Amino acid sequence: MATVKLTNVKKIYGKDTVAVQDFNLDIADKEFIVFVGPSGCGKSTTLRMIAGLEDISEGTIEIDGVVVNDLQPRDRDIAMVFQNYALYPHLTVFENMAFSLRLKKVPQDEVYDKVTKAAEILGITEYLTRKPRALSGGQRQRVAIGRAMVRDSKVFLMDEPLSNLDAKLRNQMRAEIILLRQKIDTTFVYVTHDQTEAMTLGDRIVIMKDGFIMQVGTPTEVFDMPDNLFVAEFIGAPKMNTFKTNLVLEDGKYYVTPYGAKIEVTGAKADMLKEKNVQSGEIILGVRPEHFTLSDANNPAAIPCKIKVNEMMGSELHLHVVEDNGDKLIVRIPTIALDDDQRKALVYDSTIYVTFEGKVMHFFDPETEKNLLV
Amino acid sequence: MKKTNEKTIKKSGLGAKASRRLGNAVIYVILILITIIWLFPFVGITLESFKVDVRGMDGRFWPGEFGFDNYIRLFKETDFFNWFKNTAIMGVATAVLQTFFVLSMSYVLSRLRFKGRKGLMNLMLILGMFPGFLTMILIYKVFSDFGLTMEMAPLGLIIVYCASSGMGYYVSKGFFDTIPKSLDEAARVDGATRWQVFRKVIMPLSKPIIIYTVLMGFMAPWGDFMLASYIIHENSAGMSVAVGMYEWLSKTMVNTNYTMFCAAGVIVAIPVVAVFLALQKYYVEGVTGGAVKG
Amino acid sequence: MKRLNDLEYLKLNKFDAFLYKLKLFFCAIPLWFKSLGLAIVNFFKTCGLAIKNEFVDIGTTFKKGNWAVKLSFFIFGVGNLYYGQILRGILFLLFEIVFIGYMLVPSGGIYWLSKGNWFQTGATIGTVQGRFEYDPIYDTDVWVTGDDSVKVMLYGLLTIIFIIAFIYTWRLQVKQCKICIDITAKGKKVKSGKDDLKSLLDDQFHKTLLSLPLFGIMAFTVLPIIYMVLVAFTSYDAAHDGYSNLFSWVGFEHFNELFNFGKGGLGLAFGEILSWTLMWAFFATFSNYFLGMFVAIMINKKGIKIKKFWRTVLVMTIAIPQFVSLLYVSKLFDSSGIIGKLLGQIPAISEYLSANHFISLWDSPIVAKILVIVINIWVGIPYIMLMATGILMNIPADLYESSRIDGASPWQQYSKITLPYMMFVMGPYLLTSFVGNLNNFNVIYLLTGGNPLNTAIGTAGGASVGHTDLLITWLFKMTLGSSESKYYMASLIGICVFLVVAVLSLIVYNVIPSTRNEEDYK
Repeated sequence: MATVKLTNVKKIYGKDTVAVQDFNLDIADKEFIVFVGPSGCGKSTTLRMIAGLEDISEGTIEIDGVVVNDLQPRDRDIAMVFQNYALYPHLTVFENMAFSLRLKKVPQDEVYDKVTKAAEILGITEYLTRKPRALSGGQRQRVAIGRAMVRDSKVFLMDEPLSNLDAKLRNQMRAEIILLRQKIDTTFVYVTHDQTEAMTLGDRIVIMKDGFIMQVGTPTEVFDMPDNLFVAEFIGAPKMNTFKTNLVLEDGKYYVTPYGAKIEVTGAKADMLKEKNVQSGEIILGVRPEHFTLSDANNPAAIPCKIKVNEMMGSELHLHVVEDNGDKLIVRIPTIALDDDQRKALVYDSTIYVTFEGKVMHFFDPETEKNLLV
Repeated sequence: MKKTNEKTIKKSGLGAKASRRLGNAVIYVILILITIIWLFPFVGITLESFKVDVRGMDGRFWPGEFGFDNYIRLFKETDFFNWFKNTAIMGVATAVLQTFFVLSMSYVLSRLRFKGRKGLMNLMLILGMFPGFLTMILIYKVFSDFGLTMEMAPLGLIIVYCASSGMGYYVSKGFFDTIPKSLDEAARVDGATRWQVFRKVIMPLSKPIIIYTVLMGFMAPWGDFMLASYIIHENSAGMSVAVGMYEWLSKTMVNTNYTMFCAAGVIVAIPVVAVFLALQKYYVEGVTGGAVKG
Repeated sequence: MKRLNDLEYLKLNKFDAFLYKLKLFFCAIPLWFKSLGLAIVNFFKTCGLAIKNEFVDIGTTFKKGNWAVKLSFFIFGVGNLYYGQILRGILFLLFEIVFIGYMLVPSGGIYWLSKGNWFQTGATIGTVQGRFEYDPIYDTDVWVTGDDSVKVMLYGLLTIIFIIAFIYTWRLQVKQCKICIDITAKGKKVKSGKDDLKSLLDDQFHKTLLSLPLFGIMAFTVLPIIYMVLVAFTSYDAAHDGYSNLFSWVGFEHFNELFNFGKGGLGLAFGEILSWTLMWAFFATFSNYFLGMFVAIMINKKGIKIKKFWRTVLVMTIAIPQFVSLLYVSKLFDSSGIIGKLLGQIPAISEYLSANHFISLWDSPIVAKILVIVINIWVGIPYIMLMATGILMNIPADLYESSRIDGASPWQQYSKITLPYMMFVMGPYLLTSFVGNLNNFNVIYLLTGGNPLNTAIGTAGGASVGHTDLLITWLFKMTLGSSESKYYMASLIGICVFLVVAVLSLIVYNVIPSTRNEEDYK
């Protein structure tokens, strides 16, 4: 239970390979923070700097107000769960979980209480006498979490804990971590490359790229109001469609003109454009696949495209379509909105017309790739 | 059309099976030949050691008469027991010390990162390119001043075998490299010092490589002739089996001592082979690991 | 030369592709030299910069420091003591006292250094020659001990090392003063002696573990090697053993002797031994490699039974001490040995032997050379077999399955899958094995002792030269302490071995990819 504060933290490897650039973040007590980004973005390095496994090249990290730059990992009062579990193969599950307590010379009674309690929460009581190699992936992951739990440490660090599990188990463990969080109620820093994990777990999400923080915000914030093109494309699956088009200001109304269609900007977005006094010009427009709808040739707001791939996902269809210029778009349509005949017509190379509503688009500056409304 | 098809399929099926059988038969023949060639010297030396009627080389494989005369002579007429004892002491001491040196060095180079690590490894690589024997000239001079070439020669040799053994860190470093680094990190986060990581996490996982290193250390003095013959004064009480027995095959002595040499060879081979075969598994692991890691 | 892009390269047929690669290789040679030159220049540049920085750092420390820091430029450890690092301070101070004491006492550092006449060509090492002098008490000549050149050089060298250590320690403690200044300026506490001791088991753990092994290497490898390199520039031999006769510095004279192919020079002997050494290493390495692999493949073939037995048979050779097995095998091939006698009964062989006045097979240079290579196969195959077995088991089985479906014959599977895979994994091992064979004392010395004698050369460098002598066995014989021993020549040859190995390693290191990826396996 502690705050973590990172101020101007930098990580430089060798002479000039910069892994983390000027990282500033205040993590509140008992907050669940998720670092997310593509591989090589510096998220794990940042976590390892908090843990003390990597030196901090510049800047300071404070845990509970104490600068920990020069402290050894063991003096930082943190617990960490590793991607590949890092269980000690020669120790039983019980001894694995008790390892840190043994180092602190905690009396046996207390060790027993703590370990069995943690094991009970995680549902691994029956495996306590086994060696790690006799456990399945999911069980090992639980032991790794249990080992961190018994520490009662100030900060709980997790480095891609679910990425070694298969898809089904991952979903299950994700749900368990959410439950666990309510039980152990401490500060969490969680690293993942999976935006779904980030969205579902985090109180706040830190999205990183090439060592820079691209945006910090709650899941809703980063989804609804991405700061820049990178965040817009990274959060949400399938990823947001982005294309160059023009924003036109006519008679106090904003229009966008993608691929010859003309769509009026409405709702909150229109007000914000007005407020920011944005002028006509070229922009990058972002529209999420789920915001497309099918339309017909008569609609002036319709964009004609050809179907290349039709993915049937069950409750929805993902259509990969190509617009006349060759731009590729992804359109996501609930299955329930189509009748059988319509569905059968969606075959390779057939032409469809799609459109989207005026209140759901995102506008980005084509040069800086920043959101025009932020 | 259909007929020919069937025919060809049938033929190739039979052919494959037959050729595999033939191939295996050839392999068995080769392997049996190999076994004979490889075991011949060992059987030969054992038979030779039981010869009673001759003491030199007579060019016969089978003894005319069997007996333990050579073995009895070995302990009654020669200093063999003393040599054997010296070598055994060296073997045990080298096993202990060398293991400590090698494991320390390889653990540090594999797990810890510090300034000068690369430089140190390069230095050892370059040093390894000098013929190690070159150092003996000076070492011999110094040792002879300290009396380490006479009765105390085993102590001198132990120092020679162990002092620079840290340079042979490659195989065990290869082993340590395969232990995931995250184990160290997890232990350090759990509150362990580097020393505790070494003792409580890495060492318990390193049984195979420890045994391998002990085995290599134990065998070194038994097989070494070059260093031993350079350091040890002949006819001193500090001789090792290699130096002592080498003399027996010199031109002047071979005619009277050949069968005794064979008997001594059998006695020397027994403890080493016994230890070796018992720990063969670990040896193989070490060697194959070393090949993969380079 | 025109560089092709990937697609153009793929268009070439095999022969053209090979030519193209060859061309690329030779075109790259000037570039290598260029980059080597650049690297050297850069090295000196960074060195210069580093030295400059050191001096600047020392200067600022002196300027910024208080009286204690300034004093510790002359008396070690005062700065540390002032800042409360009692343990370090005392150790530094002790070091200085010991150093000054050692340098100044009679027959201490300065004494030894002054005796050495260092690198003055023609001057003796040591100044007082031991001699016989008439002693009236015993009424005979008695030996009056003089200097011992060996000791003068050794202690001189140790003193030089001590001086370097002294300078380094001086710099170290000045640096620590600077660190103390910086830390106290920030208002933090400096590390106490207790912290230092604790850190020896934690973040300085490497120092604890390395101290003994490194000391061993320094004392028993580095020091003797430096010493022996120096010996190459002296006249140290049996006649000038340093004790009864001082030896002296001679500069590069012996290099001329070694590379002199005329009379009195060692050029011929050296050339012959070196070429046989290289040939031996080549054959020994590759015969073992291919045959060992072949045996491993046979034993591991599907359908072959009692695999463990075949393996154990071979492994026995490793277990039995080499001097027993090799000496015995060498006698087997002797004229009265079992195999020697048997072979001697074959007419062709007996005729060959008697025609050349050879008694046993070992007397024929060419037969002896072939025999040592063949017997070495007997020695070496088991090692390779074990390694190859390990690697074979690591080759994914689906590679073989897919290649069978693609229509590969067993031979094609071997040459296209097994061999390249092995080559890649065992590349670095082949190099170590080659170097090991260059210095393979045991096999040669125990089998032949370097014999048969090379009558065309006789003795060179104070040791007989045999047809099967390697550089290492020659070197060994040269230093056995006979009246002919030429230590300086041994040391020169040692340096030559080093050069051969270093050049080979550099080439191989640059050619084989798998030597470079230390971290790849992690």
